[in-house]
Amino acid sequence: MVNFTVDEIRGLMDKPTNIRNMSVIAHVDHGKSTLTDSLVSKAGIIAHANAGNARYMDTRQDEKDRGITIKSTAISMYFKIPDEDLSAVEVKQKTSGTEFLINLIDSPGHVDFSSEVTAALRVTDGALVVVDTIDGVCVQTETVLRQALGERIKPVVIINKVDRALLELQVSKEDLYQSFARTVESVNVIISTYHDAALGDVQVFPEKGTVAFGSGLHGWAFTLRQFATRYAKKFGTDKDKMMTRLWGDHFFNPATKKWGTKSTDAEGKPLERCFNMFVLDPIYKIFANVMDFKKEQVFTMLDKLDIKLDQSERELEGKKLLKAIMQKFLPAGDSLLDMIVIHLPSAATAQKYRVETLYEGPMDDESAIGIRDCDPKGPLVLYVSKMVPTSDKGRFYAFGRIFSGTVRSGPKIRIQGPNYIPGKKDDLFVKSIQRTVLMMGRYIEPLEDCPAGNIVGLVGIDQFLLKSGTLTSSETAHNMRVMRFSVSPVVQVAVEVKNAADLPKLVEGLKRLSKSDPCVQTWIAETGEHIVAGAGELHLEICLKDLEEDHAGVPLKKSDPVVPYRETVAAESSIVALSKSQNKHNRLYVKAMPLGEELTKAIEDGKVNPRDDFKIRARVLADEFGWDVTDARKIWAFGPDTTGPNLLVDVTKGVQYLAEIKDSCVAGLQWAAKEGVCAEENMRGVRFNLMDVTLHADAIHRGGGQLIPTTRRVMYAACLLAQPTLQEPVYLVEIQCPENAIGGVYSCLNTRRGQVFSEEQRIGTPMFTIKAYLPVAESFGFNGALRQATSGQAFPQSVFDHWELMQGSPLDKGSKLEELVTVIRKRKGLKPEIPGLDNYYDKL
Amino acid sequence: MSAENTTFFTSGADAISRTIDVQQESTPAEDLDNFYEIERTIAEILAGDYKRVALQFPDELLHDSVPIYRRLKAGIGLGRELYVLADTSYGSCCVDEVAAQHVDADAMVHYGYACMSQTSRLPVIYVFGKKPIDVEDCAQRVSQVFDGTSACLRYDVAYAHQAESIAAALHQALHVPISLAPSQKSSETPSDSESEVSSIIYIGGENLGLTNLLITHSTCNVYSYDPLTTSARIESTRTNRLLMRRYATVQKARDADVFGILVGTLGVASYLPLITHLRALLARAHKKSYTLSVGKLNPAKLANFAEIECFVLVACPENSLVEARDFLRPIITPFELEVALRADRSWTGRYVLDFEKLLAESKSDGEDAPPPPPDSDSDSDNDPDRPVFSLITGTYRQAKRFGLPSKGKDTAASPSPSDEVILRNQDTAVALKDSAGAQFFQERTFRGLEARVGEDAPSVLEQGRSGVARGYGDDHREE
Repeated sequence: MVNFTVDEIRGLMDKPTNIRNMSVIAHVDHGKSTLTDSLVSKAGIIAHANAGNARYMDTRQDEKDRGITIKSTAISMYFKIPDEDLSAVEVKQKTSGTEFLINLIDSPGHVDFSSEVTAALRVTDGALVVVDTIDGVCVQTETVLRQALGERIKPVVIINKVDRALLELQVSKEDLYQSFARTVESVNVIISTYHDAALGDVQVFPEKGTVAFGSGLHGWAFTLRQFATRYAKKFGTDKDKMMTRLWGDHFFNPATKKWGTKSTDAEGKPLERCFNMFVLDPIYKIFANVMDFKKEQVFTMLDKLDIKLDQSERELEGKKLLKAIMQKFLPAGDSLLDMIVIHLPSAATAQKYRVETLYEGPMDDESAIGIRDCDPKGPLVLYVSKMVPTSDKGRFYAFGRIFSGTVRSGPKIRIQGPNYIPGKKDDLFVKSIQRTVLMMGRYIEPLEDCPAGNIVGLVGIDQFLLKSGTLTSSETAHNMRVMRFSVSPVVQVAVEVKNAADLPKLVEGLKRLSKSDPCVQTWIAETGEHIVAGAGELHLEICLKDLEEDHAGVPLKKSDPVVPYRETVAAESSIVALSKSQNKHNRLYVKAMPLGEELTKAIEDGKVNPRDDFKIRARVLADEFGWDVTDARKIWAFGPDTTGPNLLVDVTKGVQYLAEIKDSCVAGLQWAAKEGVCAEENMRGVRFNLMDVTLHADAIHRGGGQLIPTTRRVMYAACLLAQPTLQEPVYLVEIQCPENAIGGVYSCLNTRRGQVFSEEQRIGTPMFTIKAYLPVAESFGFNGALRQATSGQAFPQSVFDHWELMQGSPLDKGSKLEELVTVIRKRKGLKPEIPGLDNYYDKL
Repeated sequence: MSAENTTFFTSGADAISRTIDVQQESTPAEDLDNFYEIERTIAEILAGDYKRVALQFPDELLHDSVPIYRRLKAGIGLGRELYVLADTSYGSCCVDEVAAQHVDADAMVHYGYACMSQTSRLPVIYVFGKKPIDVEDCAQRVSQVFDGTSACLRYDVAYAHQAESIAAALHQALHVPISLAPSQKSSETPSDSESEVSSIIYIGGENLGLTNLLITHSTCNVYSYDPLTTSARIESTRTNRLLMRRYATVQKARDADVFGILVGTLGVASYLPLITHLRALLARAHKKSYTLSVGKLNPAKLANFAEIECFVLVACPENSLVEARDFLRPIITPFELEVALRADRSWTGRYVLDFEKLLAESKSDGEDAPPPPPDSDSDSDNDPDRPVFSLITGTYRQAKRFGLPSKGKDTAASPSPSDEVILRNQDTAVALKDSAGAQFFQERTFRGLEARVGEDAPSVLEQGRSGVARGYGDDHREE
């Protein structure tokens, strides 16, 4: 029975101090959805008995079938904490009352769906990081944790699947403690690399209550705070003092009843660690007694611990009994709720420090102030982070967070797309919202209005935003910063309809697909093929399935996956390239050179941005990338698409009419960088220096018509003179496998140009973690091959890592790279050979 | 350096003495009469009693113009004038009626390859030049690759003189019914009888005519036989790829707001009604259109119109398909524009290049369904401001809308300016609403000469450059 009403939730929405927006993040299969069930069941949405099996937040059929989460799902829950806990909350932050609204987003753990996590993190302030006791911190744990910290999101940790350590591995208490300690430490290693004064120290410590331990499957969990409360009464000491004693090198001497920090007593006899003695011991005993079927002892223990089972539960045996007992003893919902309410920031608290990283505009305009104060009466500022399909086909809820003001249907608001620039009219719509709704996992509830600090779904604006955007009522408002995804769409598939008459449906389907996923991209290539690009094979598989069955609803033919490449140069042009305009009256002199990987990445990550003030940007380039300041101030353009990682720099001296041809040269760069000279792939990491220019004295003879094609030609010539080459996308693969499977993993990687760079044994387990770089082009079918080579014992996770320079030159006849370029050119319907230099280079 | 270089302008002598690369296929004098059908030409001129006749030669046949002129002149006698026309502004396959009108001609003789588009003004005598073909070899080679139940024979006009015998030979070799294209027009859309034909046999080399044939008959198998290389092959494998590329170009046209209608012919009948139709079509879709005549296309000419986002080429069917790889902006055909702009027309693989047919079609279904009255529906599904999903970029784009009624419901962000007041923005440049040129100008970084009074320090006079623009005296000569 749901133990709250929408009215109660709506009432709490007005108290931003009592709202917790949080996401659950972790590596795949570490138990996010299962753990979330505990909270959902505590809220009464599902029965206690089902908690751990229901995976309530997995709403799609394929999520249930595959047992993985694909889309992130939000749910709002109402909780009331016991009055005595209120003081613990109030110490940390301002609170009003014991009722709390928790907006929880369960996110997918598979790396291919990382973009869903990014979209979830944007609208939340805290994160529950789930770590598997046995696997420890994995690649995706690290990725999502880093992303969370980048967004100024405060983490708390739960070490999950403790039951497995007890039941399957049968580790000793001290070993389990050591394993916990190691996991906590590796989480803190990642956190400590982020120094953010505004956020403060966010390292997690069990003794502070920011780490929980438990089992999502069995529905139990605890923090040291719960045990400390229990023992503080018994020993008559302070609760906080007790908590510190329960973790780390604190030992209790039962003979003297003294606490100490030495692991031996006065006579040198070993003492037991407090954590083991007071926390693990009761749990171990329950486990041992239940699993050995010593029911009598179990029931006497239960009496001691004051746990009451009802009659039907008393008749259970084995794991079922264990689950029933543990759920009563240490209910996961309670401990998680405790941790969330006490340690995660409220919407009001978080927005004070998040406003700087969220808002692009000045910190003193009305919108920024509204966000900072989480002011429901301020101007509306709402960020839509993703689109959620509705039951009405083709329509979407815009899912987002209100940072300032109150959203309601009716009044006209400004819908600002990602390309909106304040003061301009591009990507701006003034429309009204039709309805506001509360997202409740599998269903929605209508809302009259919704104030700042909450997560909401909006009806009626999906047609104006493709994936994300800012909604505001303030005419001066800037955009909220766009999200940066940790994954890139590096795997492409061409789709075509089996039936020519279905083409319009496919086109509509591609649009819907693009909307429904934050990461996927769809477009039509020059060759007329419809391309769908995703982060990995699994991601594409899901997207294509959705496209075929849902968005387009027509049978499709799919090509084999293709990988996009990037064109770059490996050296500076050997001589200055010269091209003449068609009328021979204008001459451009250009050199191409590598931009450097760091700067290229900085541009791609948005750290160096074409929208930055050029003086500030020049300073950054000079200080961090060793540029000459005068050069850095004369960057004419970024390309392709005016934001890409290729630069056109004016290094001419004293050229007349130069300002006049700037627009033409910029247009030429956009064109050339979009279609590189080797294979018409995008260029990446090329710097073009405009060395000199000779122009006709009459303006009519130096117009765009003469100069745009010439700029493109001279850039091609400069590239051909600068050792042109390709870059290919490379995955970072993390493979977990037992020792005997390592051989299979290596041979599988070797045949696919994989390079292992780390191999570690996870202490205390027979499992190894292998990390390797694997070219995306070689990754198709890798999972299957690996499973075969290791009889299914190895589990890989691949995430796009970087672009790698390919060996060799496409200009060498017979080289591997030339072969590759020929294949790409043929696919695009181009002449198989790279055009010669004399097509672009003119003699004076 | 001669004295020439001290002047600012060259004498222009090198433009006259510049050589053009043409394949010299000189025809022996004895073949000339036969190859150029001198007798037939003379007979037709006399029969029509034409007084002034213009002779149009493509570049590659120009070298034969003098002997032909002499022979014709001798044949037609006094009182009739002949003129040899210079190179045409458009494709040499088209009849250049405008050039002929300059000499006030009352008839034309068109030499060489022709697209056979219907002309509007003058009677035309076509002389294709009779190219030799080995009929036996043709039939044999085609039979090696042919696989079909019926075929239609198409040919390069230069082989027209042998068409009948080729058809007969093919019929014998293939044992399938061979229908001969009824008219001489090589590039036209299939008539009703042809639409049932499953394959097409094309005689001739690889040229635009063949490409057009492929693209307009995408459902047929097309076989080609090239008499020069004496090779036969199936061409239809290219068709799909060609059509796909055109499809991508149509998508680009969907993203364009400012169109340029390129006048690429002055000879094809009904080009004027078509241009009018295109203008109306663009205006209905609230797109801006300019009409341009630039003669033969090249990237430099078109890139001068930087604010135009897509060009529509109105030219004879042979010259309509321009591979726009080297052009900054896509160039589409009138049919493609219809597909791009009209929601009810979707891309089915059918392709029309013929003007008349296009006009007739759009008349018939254009009139039936008048465009829905704008802004009549408050439902956001029909909201004109709604962005459209662009398949080229994979993102939303908001179309600029031109030619809206000024007192219409303006739902945009700012209240619509009244007609009397012209907005000036902070750069004091006049922001003309509804003007694509002005909007483009606003986006440029360079907007003409700026009076930077007092901003630059006065500089010392320096020796400037000397010479002509093709190569100044100090222009990197040493490198």
